[in-house]
Amino acid sequence: MNRCDQARRLFGAYWDDEVTQAEREWLESHLAGCPTCRPQYEQFARTLETVGSLPRTDVAADLPERALVAARRATTAPDRIAVAPAKPVWIPVTATAALLLIGVSALLPWIGTPVGQRVFAHHDGRQQKMSEPYIVRTTGPAATGATAAVIDSLFDHSEDVEFVLDPVVLHRGRAQAPSRLPQGVQGEQAVISF
Amino acid sequence: MGRVAEDDERAFTELVRRFQGRVGNLISRVLNDRENVDDLAQEVFVRVFVHRRNYRRGSKFSTWVFTIAANLAKNEIRRRVRRRNWFSLDALTEVLSDSLPQLADPTESREQGLEREQLQGAVGRAIATVPEKYRLALVLRDIEGLAYEEIAEVLGLPGGTVRSRINRARGMLQRKLQPLLRKQDAP
Repeated sequence: MNRCDQARRLFGAYWDDEVTQAEREWLESHLAGCPTCRPQYEQFARTLETVGSLPRTDVAADLPERALVAARRATTAPDRIAVAPAKPVWIPVTATAALLLIGVSALLPWIGTPVGQRVFAHHDGRQQKMSEPYIVRTTGPAATGATAAVIDSLFDHSEDVEFVLDPVVLHRGRAQAPSRLPQGVQGEQAVISF
Repeated sequence: MGRVAEDDERAFTELVRRFQGRVGNLISRVLNDRENVDDLAQEVFVRVFVHRRNYRRGSKFSTWVFTIAANLAKNEIRRRVRRRNWFSLDALTEVLSDSLPQLADPTESREQGLEREQLQGAVGRAIATVPEKYRLALVLRDIEGLAYEEIAEVLGLPGGTVRSRINRARGMLQRKLQPLLRKQDAP
Protein backbone atom coordinates (compact mmCIF):
# COMPACT_ATOMS: atom_id res chain seq x y z
CA MET A 1 0.00 0.00 0.00
CA ASN A 2 1.50 3.31 -1.00
CA ARG A 3 1.44 6.45 1.14
CA CYS A 4 -1.55 7.98 -0.69
CA ASP A 5 -3.70 4.86 -0.16
CA GLN A 6 -2.67 4.87 3.48
CA ALA A 7 -3.63 8.54 3.77
CA ARG A 8 -7.01 8.00 2.11
CA ARG A 9 -7.80 5.23 4.57
CA LEU A 10 -7.37 7.72 7.38
CA PHE A 11 -9.67 10.41 5.94
CA GLY A 12 -12.76 9.19 7.82
CA ALA A 13 -11.06 8.70 11.17
CA TYR A 14 -9.32 12.07 10.79
CA TRP A 15 -12.65 13.76 10.08
CA ASP A 16 -14.17 12.05 13.13
CA ASP A 17 -11.13 12.99 15.22
CA GLU A 18 -10.44 9.34 15.96
CA VAL A 19 -6.79 9.16 14.97
CA THR A 20 -3.81 8.92 17.26
CA GLN A 21 -1.48 11.87 17.63
CA ALA A 22 1.13 10.09 15.48
CA GLU A 23 -1.41 9.37 12.72
CA ARG A 24 -2.61 12.96 12.78
CA GLU A 25 0.91 14.36 12.41
CA TRP A 26 1.76 11.92 9.64
CA LEU A 27 -1.46 12.63 7.70
CA GLU A 28 -1.18 16.38 8.03
CA SER A 29 2.39 16.38 6.76
CA HIS A 30 1.38 14.11 3.87
CA LEU A 31 -1.58 16.31 2.91
CA ALA A 32 0.63 19.39 3.00
CA GLY A 33 3.02 17.91 0.47
CA CYS A 34 0.79 15.69 -1.72
CA PRO A 35 -0.89 17.38 -4.70
CA THR A 36 -3.26 14.38 -5.15
CA CYS A 37 -4.41 13.75 -1.60
CA ARG A 38 -4.89 17.34 -0.52
CA PRO A 39 -7.72 18.18 -3.02
CA GLN A 40 -9.20 14.74 -2.37
CA TYR A 41 -9.39 15.38 1.33
CA GLU A 42 -10.83 18.84 0.71
CA GLN A 43 -13.54 17.28 -1.45
CA PHE A 44 -14.21 14.63 1.18
CA ALA A 45 -14.52 17.25 3.91
CA ARG A 46 -16.75 19.42 1.78
CA THR A 47 -19.06 16.50 1.03
CA LEU A 48 -19.48 15.76 4.72
CA GLU A 49 -19.89 19.43 5.60
CA THR A 50 -22.68 19.69 3.05
CA VAL A 51 -24.31 16.49 4.36
CA GLY A 52 -24.15 17.87 7.89
CA SER A 53 -25.58 21.22 6.88
CA LEU A 54 -28.59 19.88 5.00
CA PRO A 55 -31.74 21.65 6.17
CA ARG A 56 -33.63 19.77 8.79
CA THR A 57 -37.05 18.43 8.04
CA ASP A 58 -39.85 19.93 10.09
CA VAL A 59 -42.63 17.72 11.31
CA ALA A 60 -46.21 18.80 11.96
CA ALA A 61 -46.58 21.06 15.00
CA ASP A 62 -49.47 18.98 16.33
CA LEU A 63 -47.54 15.72 16.16
CA PRO A 64 -47.44 15.26 19.98
CA GLU A 65 -51.25 15.45 20.23
CA ARG A 66 -51.76 13.26 17.17
CA ALA A 67 -49.27 10.71 18.46
CA LEU A 68 -51.05 10.63 21.82
CA VAL A 69 -54.44 9.97 20.23
CA ALA A 70 -52.96 7.25 18.04
CA ALA A 71 -51.10 5.76 21.01
CA ARG A 72 -54.31 5.60 23.08
CA ARG A 73 -56.06 3.89 20.18
CA ALA A 74 -53.18 1.45 19.73
CA THR A 75 -53.16 0.47 23.40
CA THR A 76 -56.89 -0.16 23.53
CA ALA A 77 -57.11 -1.97 20.20
CA PRO A 78 -55.08 -5.09 19.49
CA ASP A 79 -51.77 -4.47 17.83
CA ARG A 80 -52.74 -6.45 14.79
CA ILE A 81 -55.97 -7.53 13.20
CA ALA A 82 -56.97 -10.80 14.76
CA VAL A 83 -56.64 -13.58 12.29
CA ALA A 84 -58.29 -16.93 12.82
CA PRO A 85 -55.62 -19.54 13.43
CA ALA A 86 -54.89 -21.45 10.29
CA LYS A 87 -56.41 -24.92 10.19
CA PRO A 88 -53.76 -27.52 10.74
CA VAL A 89 -52.87 -29.23 7.49
CA TRP A 90 -52.78 -32.66 9.04
CA ILE A 91 -56.59 -32.79 9.53
CA PRO A 92 -57.67 -32.81 5.85
CA VAL A 93 -54.66 -34.95 4.94
CA THR A 94 -55.52 -37.55 7.57
CA ALA A 95 -59.22 -37.47 6.62
CA THR A 96 -58.40 -38.04 2.94
CA ALA A 97 -55.98 -40.82 3.81
CA ALA A 98 -58.61 -42.49 6.02
CA LEU A 99 -61.26 -42.28 3.28
CA LEU A 100 -58.84 -43.72 0.73
CA LEU A 101 -57.96 -46.54 3.11
CA ILE A 102 -61.63 -47.39 3.66
CA GLY A 103 -62.31 -47.30 -0.07
CA VAL A 104 -59.30 -49.47 -0.90
CA SER A 105 -60.10 -51.99 1.84
CA ALA A 106 -63.70 -52.24 0.57
CA LEU A 107 -62.51 -52.90 -2.97
CA LEU A 108 -59.61 -55.12 -1.98
CA PRO A 109 -61.48 -58.49 -2.37
CA TRP A 110 -62.32 -57.43 -5.92
CA ILE A 111 -59.04 -55.98 -6.94
CA GLY A 112 -56.29 -58.21 -8.18
CA THR A 113 -58.26 -61.47 -7.80
CA PRO A 114 -59.03 -63.04 -11.20
CA VAL A 115 -62.67 -63.81 -11.66
CA GLY A 116 -61.85 -67.51 -12.08
CA GLN A 117 -60.42 -67.60 -8.56
CA ARG A 118 -63.41 -65.94 -6.94
CA VAL A 119 -65.46 -68.23 -4.86
CA PHE A 120 -69.20 -68.12 -4.77
CA ALA A 121 -70.76 -69.29 -1.53
CA HIS A 122 -73.99 -71.20 -1.83
CA HIS A 123 -76.77 -70.78 0.68
CA ASP A 124 -76.15 -74.21 2.14
CA GLY A 125 -72.46 -73.60 2.72
CA ARG A 126 -71.12 -75.17 -0.45
CA GLN A 127 -68.54 -73.15 -2.30
CA GLN A 128 -68.15 -73.00 -6.02
CA LYS A 129 -65.55 -71.30 -8.14
CA MET A 130 -66.91 -68.67 -10.43
CA SER A 131 -66.12 -69.07 -14.07
CA GLU A 132 -64.97 -66.32 -16.37
CA PRO A 133 -67.67 -64.82 -18.51
CA TYR A 134 -67.14 -65.42 -22.21
CA ILE A 135 -68.62 -64.14 -25.42
CA VAL A 136 -70.99 -66.44 -27.13
CA ARG A 137 -69.66 -67.02 -30.59
CA THR A 138 -72.27 -66.80 -33.18
CA THR A 139 -72.12 -67.01 -36.89
CA GLY A 140 -73.31 -64.17 -39.01
CA PRO A 141 -72.61 -60.48 -39.34
CA ALA A 142 -73.08 -59.71 -35.64
CA ALA A 143 -70.01 -61.76 -34.73
CA THR A 144 -67.76 -59.67 -36.95
CA GLY A 145 -68.88 -56.34 -35.41
CA ALA A 146 -66.77 -54.27 -33.04
CA THR A 147 -66.31 -55.88 -29.65
CA ALA A 148 -67.07 -52.59 -27.91
CA ALA A 149 -70.51 -52.64 -29.39
CA VAL A 150 -71.28 -56.09 -28.12
CA ILE A 151 -74.29 -55.83 -25.91
CA ASP A 152 -74.68 -57.62 -22.67
CA SER A 153 -77.16 -60.09 -24.06
CA LEU A 154 -74.36 -61.67 -26.08
CA PHE A 155 -72.77 -62.97 -22.90
CA ASP A 156 -73.69 -66.31 -21.60
CA HIS A 157 -74.29 -65.96 -17.88
CA SER A 158 -75.54 -69.49 -17.45
CA GLU A 159 -72.68 -70.49 -15.20
CA ASP A 160 -72.42 -67.21 -13.36
CA VAL A 161 -75.84 -66.70 -11.98
CA GLU A 162 -77.72 -69.19 -9.97
CA PHE A 163 -80.93 -68.50 -8.17
CA VAL A 164 -81.70 -70.85 -5.39
CA LEU A 165 -85.20 -70.67 -4.12
CA ASP A 166 -86.05 -71.35 -0.54
CA PRO A 167 -86.32 -75.09 -0.15
CA VAL A 168 -89.84 -76.03 0.71
CA VAL A 169 -90.41 -79.55 1.87
CA LEU A 170 -93.75 -80.74 0.71
CA HIS A 171 -95.49 -83.71 2.16
CA ARG A 172 -98.06 -85.52 0.31
CA GLY A 173 -101.46 -84.50 1.45
CA ARG A 174 -100.51 -81.95 4.12
CA ALA A 175 -97.84 -79.33 3.79
CA GLN A 176 -95.95 -78.08 6.87
CA ALA A 177 -95.71 -74.67 5.37
CA PRO A 178 -98.28 -73.07 3.17
CA SER A 179 -97.20 -73.73 -0.37
CA ARG A 180 -96.77 -70.82 -2.70
CA LEU A 181 -96.57 -73.13 -5.67
CA PRO A 182 -99.39 -73.04 -8.15
CA GLN A 183 -101.98 -75.72 -7.59
CA GLY A 184 -101.04 -79.04 -9.04
CA VAL A 185 -97.28 -78.45 -8.90
CA GLN A 186 -95.41 -80.73 -6.55
CA GLY A 187 -91.74 -80.91 -5.57
CA GLU A 188 -89.24 -80.80 -2.73
CA GLN A 189 -86.84 -78.21 -4.00
CA ALA A 190 -86.85 -75.96 -6.97
CA VAL A 191 -83.58 -74.83 -8.46
CA ILE A 192 -83.71 -72.60 -11.45
CA SER A 193 -80.56 -71.87 -13.33
CA PHE A 194 -80.15 -69.32 -16.11
CA MET B 1 -39.28 8.24 29.98
CA GLY B 2 -39.78 6.86 33.45
CA ARG B 3 -42.99 8.89 33.74
CA VAL B 4 -44.15 7.72 30.33
CA ALA B 5 -43.68 4.13 31.48
CA GLU B 6 -46.06 4.95 34.34
CA ASP B 7 -48.74 6.05 31.82
CA ASP B 8 -48.13 9.78 32.22
CA GLU B 9 -49.61 11.17 29.00
CA ARG B 10 -48.27 14.69 29.53
CA ALA B 11 -44.77 13.28 29.83
CA PHE B 12 -45.36 11.40 26.60
CA THR B 13 -46.35 14.52 24.63
CA GLU B 14 -43.31 16.31 26.07
CA LEU B 15 -41.08 13.47 24.95
CA VAL B 16 -42.56 13.60 21.44
CA ARG B 17 -42.02 17.36 21.30
CA ARG B 18 -38.39 16.95 22.31
CA PHE B 19 -37.52 14.19 19.81
CA GLN B 20 -39.90 14.75 16.91
CA GLY B 21 -37.39 16.87 14.97
CA ARG B 22 -34.58 14.34 15.10
CA VAL B 23 -36.86 11.39 14.39
CA GLY B 24 -38.57 13.20 11.50
CA ASN B 25 -35.25 14.26 10.04
CA LEU B 26 -33.80 10.76 10.23
CA ILE B 27 -36.83 9.29 8.47
CA SER B 28 -36.92 12.03 5.89
CA ARG B 29 -33.23 11.67 5.02
CA VAL B 30 -33.27 7.89 4.91
CA LEU B 31 -36.44 7.66 2.86
CA ASN B 32 -35.98 10.88 0.91
CA ASP B 33 -39.65 11.52 1.41
CA ARG B 34 -41.23 14.56 3.03
CA GLU B 35 -44.86 13.73 2.44
CA ASN B 36 -45.07 10.75 4.77
CA VAL B 37 -42.67 11.93 7.46
CA ASP B 38 -45.42 13.00 9.87
CA ASP B 39 -47.21 9.67 9.65
CA LEU B 40 -44.02 7.68 10.05
CA ALA B 41 -42.75 9.82 12.93
CA GLN B 42 -46.13 9.39 14.60
CA GLU B 43 -45.84 5.64 14.17
CA VAL B 44 -42.43 5.72 15.87
CA PHE B 45 -43.90 7.48 18.92
CA VAL B 46 -46.91 5.19 19.02
CA ARG B 47 -44.49 2.28 19.21
CA VAL B 48 -42.60 4.05 21.96
CA PHE B 49 -45.84 4.34 23.93
CA VAL B 50 -47.06 0.82 23.23
CA HIS B 51 -43.72 -0.71 24.24
CA ARG B 52 -42.98 1.81 27.02
CA ARG B 53 -42.63 -0.94 29.60
CA ASN B 54 -39.90 -2.64 27.54
CA TYR B 55 -37.65 0.40 27.89
CA ARG B 56 -34.68 -0.35 30.14
CA ARG B 57 -34.26 2.37 32.71
CA GLY B 58 -30.79 3.79 32.67
CA SER B 59 -30.25 3.26 28.96
CA LYS B 60 -30.21 6.24 26.63
CA PHE B 61 -33.67 7.14 25.37
CA SER B 62 -32.31 8.60 22.11
CA THR B 63 -30.71 5.21 21.29
CA TRP B 64 -34.00 3.45 21.90
CA VAL B 65 -36.10 5.86 19.86
CA PHE B 66 -33.55 5.83 17.01
CA THR B 67 -33.59 2.04 17.02
CA ILE B 68 -37.36 2.10 16.59
CA ALA B 69 -37.12 4.80 13.89
CA ALA B 70 -34.34 2.97 12.03
CA ASN B 71 -36.30 -0.30 12.03
CA LEU B 72 -39.41 1.47 10.83
CA ALA B 73 -37.43 3.22 8.07
CA LYS B 74 -35.89 -0.09 6.99
CA ASN B 75 -39.31 -1.73 6.86
CA GLU B 76 -40.67 1.20 4.90
CA ILE B 77 -37.82 1.03 2.37
CA ARG B 78 -38.46 -2.68 1.87
CA ARG B 79 -42.19 -2.14 1.55
CA ARG B 80 -41.63 0.57 -1.05
CA VAL B 81 -39.13 -1.54 -2.97
CA ARG B 82 -41.72 -4.31 -3.06
CA ARG B 83 -44.29 -1.85 -4.37
CA ARG B 84 -41.71 -0.38 -6.76
CA ASN B 85 -42.54 3.05 -5.43
CA TRP B 86 -39.01 4.07 -4.79
CA PHE B 87 -37.71 7.44 -3.69
CA SER B 88 -39.40 10.56 -4.90
CA LEU B 89 -36.86 13.12 -5.95
CA ASP B 90 -39.53 15.73 -6.43
CA ALA B 91 -40.52 15.44 -2.79
CA LEU B 92 -36.94 16.02 -1.67
CA THR B 93 -36.52 19.06 -3.89
CA GLU B 94 -39.72 20.41 -2.40
CA VAL B 95 -38.43 19.83 1.13
CA LEU B 96 -35.18 21.55 0.35
CA SER B 97 -36.82 24.52 -1.28
CA ASP B 98 -39.28 24.79 1.61
CA SER B 99 -36.58 24.75 4.25
CA LEU B 100 -33.95 26.80 2.50
CA PRO B 101 -35.29 30.28 3.18
CA GLN B 102 -35.09 29.61 6.93
CA LEU B 103 -31.42 28.75 6.74
CA ALA B 104 -30.34 31.11 4.04
CA ASP B 105 -27.62 33.56 4.94
CA PRO B 106 -29.07 37.08 4.55
CA THR B 107 -25.76 38.37 3.17
CA GLU B 108 -25.66 35.70 0.48
CA SER B 109 -26.35 36.81 -3.07
CA ARG B 110 -29.16 35.28 -5.10
CA GLU B 111 -26.62 33.45 -7.23
CA GLN B 112 -24.83 32.02 -4.20
CA GLY B 113 -28.16 30.97 -2.75
CA LEU B 114 -29.04 29.09 -5.91
CA GLU B 115 -25.66 27.38 -5.93
CA ARG B 116 -26.06 26.27 -2.35
CA GLU B 117 -29.56 25.09 -3.05
CA GLN B 118 -28.31 23.09 -6.02
CA LEU B 119 -25.56 21.50 -4.00
CA GLN B 120 -27.91 20.56 -1.15
CA GLY B 121 -30.38 19.11 -3.61
CA ALA B 122 -27.67 17.03 -5.21
CA VAL B 123 -26.42 15.83 -1.83
CA GLY B 124 -29.94 14.84 -0.77
CA ARG B 125 -30.42 12.89 -3.99
CA ALA B 126 -27.00 11.29 -3.69
CA ILE B 127 -27.78 10.12 -0.14
CA ALA B 128 -30.99 8.54 -1.40
CA THR B 129 -29.03 6.45 -3.92
CA VAL B 130 -26.66 4.97 -1.34
CA PRO B 131 -27.71 1.38 -0.50
CA GLU B 132 -29.97 1.15 2.54
CA LYS B 133 -27.55 -0.51 4.96
CA TYR B 134 -24.87 2.12 4.33
CA ARG B 135 -27.35 4.98 4.16
CA LEU B 136 -28.78 4.38 7.63
CA ALA B 137 -25.34 4.38 9.21
CA LEU B 138 -24.36 7.49 7.26
CA VAL B 139 -27.47 9.45 8.23
CA LEU B 140 -27.11 8.47 11.89
CA ARG B 141 -23.47 9.54 11.91
CA ASP B 142 -23.18 12.52 9.58
CA ILE B 143 -26.65 14.03 9.87
CA GLU B 144 -27.80 13.05 13.35
CA GLY B 145 -24.30 13.09 14.79
CA LEU B 146 -24.57 9.89 16.81
CA ALA B 147 -21.42 8.31 18.22
CA TYR B 148 -20.19 5.09 16.61
CA GLU B 149 -21.04 3.10 19.73
CA GLU B 150 -24.58 4.44 19.73
CA ILE B 151 -25.00 3.66 16.02
CA ALA B 152 -23.75 0.14 16.69
CA GLU B 153 -26.42 -0.20 19.37
CA VAL B 154 -29.17 1.27 17.18
CA LEU B 155 -28.35 -0.97 14.23
CA GLY B 156 -27.46 -4.00 16.34
CA LEU B 157 -24.08 -4.32 14.63
CA PRO B 158 -20.48 -4.59 15.85
CA GLY B 159 -18.55 -1.31 16.01
CA GLY B 160 -16.14 -2.41 13.27
CA THR B 161 -19.00 -3.10 10.86
CA VAL B 162 -20.50 0.31 11.60
CA ARG B 163 -17.18 2.05 10.90
CA SER B 164 -16.69 0.19 7.65
CA ARG B 165 -20.26 0.93 6.53
CA ILE B 166 -19.88 4.62 7.27
CA ASN B 167 -16.56 4.76 5.42
CA ARG B 168 -18.04 3.01 2.40
CA ALA B 169 -21.09 5.28 2.41
CA ARG B 170 -18.89 8.36 2.57
CA GLY B 171 -16.77 7.06 -0.31
CA MET B 172 -19.87 6.38 -2.42
CA LEU B 173 -21.23 9.82 -1.66
CA GLN B 174 -17.97 11.52 -2.52
CA ARG B 175 -17.74 9.70 -5.86
CA LYS B 176 -21.32 10.66 -6.69
CA LEU B 177 -20.75 14.30 -5.80
CA GLN B 178 -17.27 14.61 -7.30
CA PRO B 179 -18.38 16.16 -10.61
CA LEU B 180 -20.53 18.75 -8.86
CA LEU B 181 -17.89 19.67 -6.30
CA ARG B 182 -15.26 20.00 -9.03
CA LYS B 183 -17.56 22.30 -10.96
CA GLN B 184 -18.10 24.41 -7.87
CA ASP B 185 -14.35 24.62 -7.21
CA ALA B 186 -13.68 25.84 -10.74
CA PRO B 187 -13.40 29.67 -10.98
